[in-house]
Amino acid sequence: MKMDLEQLRKTAAEVVSRDDVRYLVGWKQGTYGYRVAPGFIEDAAGAAELIFSPLCTANLATYLTLAEQLPVPRGEEPDDRKVALMVKGCDSRAVVQLLVEKGIERDDVVVIGCPCPGVIDADLLAEKYPETEDLAEMKWDGEDFLLIRGGEETKIARDELLAEKCRLCRYPNPIISDIMLDQEVETWELAEDEGVQEIEGKDVDERADYWAEQFEKCIRCYSCRNVCPLCYCQDCVLDRLNPTWVNRSVNFSENTAFNIARAFHLAGRCIECGECERVCPANIPLGKLNRKLAREVRDKYGFEAGVDPEAEPFQASFKPDDPEDFIL
Amino acid sequence: MSAMLLNKEKWPEFVKMLAGKKVLAPQADGDAMRFAAVAEGEAPALDYNNTRVPPKGALFPQTETMLKFQSGSEQVEEPQLDQETVVLGLRPCDARAMAIVEKLFKWDIDDPYFVRRRDLTTLVGLACIEPGMNCFCSSVGGGPASTEGLDMLMVDLGENYLLEAFTEKGEALLAETKDLLEEAGDVQLKEKEKVVGDAEQKIKRKVDTEGVPEGLPGLWEDPLWQKVSASCLGCGTCTYLCPTCHCFDIQDETEGFDARRCRMWDSCMFDEYTMHTSGHNPRPTRRERTRNRINHKYSYYVDKFDVIACVGCGRCTNLCPVNIDIIETIRQVKEAL
Repeated sequence: MKMDLEQLRKTAAEVVSRDDVRYLVGWKQGTYGYRVAPGFIEDAAGAAELIFSPLCTANLATYLTLAEQLPVPRGEEPDDRKVALMVKGCDSRAVVQLLVEKGIERDDVVVIGCPCPGVIDADLLAEKYPETEDLAEMKWDGEDFLLIRGGEETKIARDELLAEKCRLCRYPNPIISDIMLDQEVETWELAEDEGVQEIEGKDVDERADYWAEQFEKCIRCYSCRNVCPLCYCQDCVLDRLNPTWVNRSVNFSENTAFNIARAFHLAGRCIECGECERVCPANIPLGKLNRKLAREVRDKYGFEAGVDPEAEPFQASFKPDDPEDFIL
Repeated sequence: MSAMLLNKEKWPEFVKMLAGKKVLAPQADGDAMRFAAVAEGEAPALDYNNTRVPPKGALFPQTETMLKFQSGSEQVEEPQLDQETVVLGLRPCDARAMAIVEKLFKWDIDDPYFVRRRDLTTLVGLACIEPGMNCFCSSVGGGPASTEGLDMLMVDLGENYLLEAFTEKGEALLAETKDLLEEAGDVQLKEKEKVVGDAEQKIKRKVDTEGVPEGLPGLWEDPLWQKVSASCLGCGTCTYLCPTCHCFDIQDETEGFDARRCRMWDSCMFDEYTMHTSGHNPRPTRRERTRNRINHKYSYYVDKFDVIACVGCGRCTNLCPVNIDIIETIRQVKEAL
């Protein structure tokens, strides 16, 4: 697949020029190295900054609920124009799940779909091709990735760099969109979820030890929560002081309470975009935790988050014949 | 100031001679490095760029228990701080950050925790030879071999470490380990100059701060803050990983009948930071919070303590999930002036 950047920018310019669109959120070149930054595009000229490449790992759907609502000055009308959003397949699942939960209204968003052949794991990339301050670009090149840096092109096999979330991805094509930017990509053979299998291979004590070691490292910066498109409670249980459900002390007990609470709140809601794990400065493998719960929900209840806009939210629905044989 | 040489083969012995003190050194933790207590008999190799989490916790732990008490009792127990500590191999930027933060903790009153810990701690720095891609220490008053805040500096000269002591604590450490050391000569000091000069040349990213401290307040309502903060997630990564960020909160916490008063790192990027009891927040959005973070480092601190509260370690830029790049931010500030 070749993403036609001209086409992307032209479409974006058209969308952002519409009277009913406030701004567009897409990916733009970052400030150095392999970085890509979220771009907030407000006019047609700004659309020239947009890119879509294997470096566009971030799920921008979080900005649908992260946008701050400021009090409207007296005499002024609230700006209720739409937000346009560029989504990959996984990102579109977040939009779907937000619709299912009524976190957003369908009319409030213009979804620009980017069929995605898979993005890279930035840590793997930096490990094999050390990041420097020089700006680099990447492209999809047939079955491979192409790294372009300092005028040099390097072809890198897809398997070498493909992000874990993409190895496990069943939805590379956006599930919903108002505008689709390209032909759909073909799905690929799925890898085994080795991360979850590793956890499942441990007995209860080993699992406890494993997670104790991980949660011990948590610095409670809450980047996992804040980057998560489905962590959008206005009043998060972690921020409560009266009562204080989770103490501010950073220690194993409180860190565990936080991480487990977040994982459970995401059961049947996580759309496996991998953002929590990507942003964690402590390298906690949060993907394993969230994917394990997603798998449990899928196996036990046949529910998958973010694939059907008409679905009832998993945690808010009950069927008399829900399985219960695994409940102690 | 004394300058000595330590043959690298004697490094494990050197670390062993510090037994009895708590020794913190950078150690591998998965694929990242972090400062952790050195296990007895071990001597971690110092081949690292920098840790993700700075060593500021050695003097300003993320959670500090101030006192403990129990329901139904009037007894209050204050933890005694008496653990002598050596931080080995911290980078000059991180040591400089400790010196910068010390100005605040010794300002109107001496902060008993920070000051006590500093008294008990010997900071042994390691000069940088290979700066990281976002290092810009030399733009904000530091350098790969800056000695500010350090009791002793080590410079890697290939076969040997050059050890220079700058304080009584540093001299004491040299005296304790003198059996392992040789006197350094002019040759080594010249070699150091070269190594450090080369390292300085390798620093690629630069920040021009001229006029920034005085100019920032005038940009209060500038559209740049909206631009810089648009993508901010409001997480604490930049502040918790910043070696100079020093904001804290104090909370009473209970577990059953046991209670403790703790102070813990707080982050000006969190929305509950500066939230008033009334529900009013003078910094209601990420725009104001971002503006505050930059102003605090590059203007307020300069005003009060005559130094920029940023040491150019690059962590906030390396690890921001959305590529908010402080070097770029300061460039935008300059442009708006």
